[in-house]
Amino acid sequence: MSPSGSSTPPPSVVPPAVGGDPSPIDCETAVRRLWDFLDGELPGRPHAEVEAHLRACDRCPPHFHFSARVQRALRDGSAPPPPRAEEEAALRRRVRAALATLAAAGAPPDDGR
Amino acid sequence: MDRTPDSRPVDAPEVAHAPSADAPSADAPTAFERLMLPHLGDVARFARALARDPGAADDLVQETYLQALRGWHTFRPDADPRRWLFTICRNAFLRGARRELRYVAAPDDDPELEALAAAREHGAALRDGTARQLDHLDLAPAVARALAALPAHYRVAVVLVDVEGCDYAEAAAQLGTAVGTVRSRLFRGRRLLQQALYAHARDLGVVRDGGAGVARPDDAPAPGAARREGPPVEALPPPRGASPLRPQP
Repeated sequence: MSPSGSSTPPPSVVPPAVGGDPSPIDCETAVRRLWDFLDGELPGRPHAEVEAHLRACDRCPPHFHFSARVQRALRDGSAPPPPRAEEEAALRRRVRAALATLAAAGAPPDDGR
Repeated sequence: MDRTPDSRPVDAPEVAHAPSADAPSADAPTAFERLMLPHLGDVARFARALARDPGAADDLVQETYLQALRGWHTFRPDADPRRWLFTICRNAFLRGARRELRYVAAPDDDPELEALAAAREHGAALRDGTARQLDHLDLAPAVARALAALPAHYRVAVVLVDVEGCDYAEAAAQLGTAVGTVRSRLFRGRRLLQQALYAHARDLGVVRDGGAGVARPDDAPAPGAARREGPPVEALPPPRGASPLRPQP
């Protein structure tokens, strides 16, 4: 995961990037950057340009909001339930037994490195 | 504790075995296990997101650890064990999934076309009322089902970024590909997920159509009406890890 780096405030209140206000971009340009923007992968100026466009445009924000909502559902609630403690313990035993069988069958040495 | 060549783990690990304080236990973890088994929970969670059911996921976890043991001599001492295990898990998954792959090579040269298409499709969903159906749903179960139905290559990319929280560079390292390929698979996968959500919403409810049974182009909302469909811009979640002063790559 990329660290957030410097202690800048949330993007919506950060002053425009170096060089003055971001130049206006059109809807196609903004939407092309939709997932790069939501993923935090855009460098400073392109990110600021998208933010400015979303403040000024009526048509694009719903698309961004919907994609963000789907991403939140994936991140927060859609992952299959992790193994319960007893399931994980049983899996751990099973894996250890399989590793031991493999080691006994002549796998490369697994310690002493 | 070192394993001597003669020591073997006891055959019934479920039997309670109180290790003696003085003698090395035959059940003692090896150096490999001491380094790798602490990540079993994370690997199991990752496997469950990749595989279609818990049984297949557990098999994948076992295969991952066996592959890791076979390749233990290649593991660099300074490497990250969790990332190494995830890479092995992903490889094992894709090998096993080869038969079921419905992976159509997506042109890598412009993944942003997927974003444009997704926005067009969302616009259509807004116009025909499908998006309104989704407003009232808890998306998580439908998204989980749609994720499980994605072709394997797309699913892995979406799991790495949207479930595991990798950034593009980390996902590219996990997949052993370039960032461009990550974007291509990720964007296509996300677009497919959204299409599945629209299909689910249409299956669930009656699409509002003004009573005529067919969504008509002139039912499109006036330009200003689109604003009602979503919360204000300020409510967008801060992009993960974003700093507007981030240096250019």
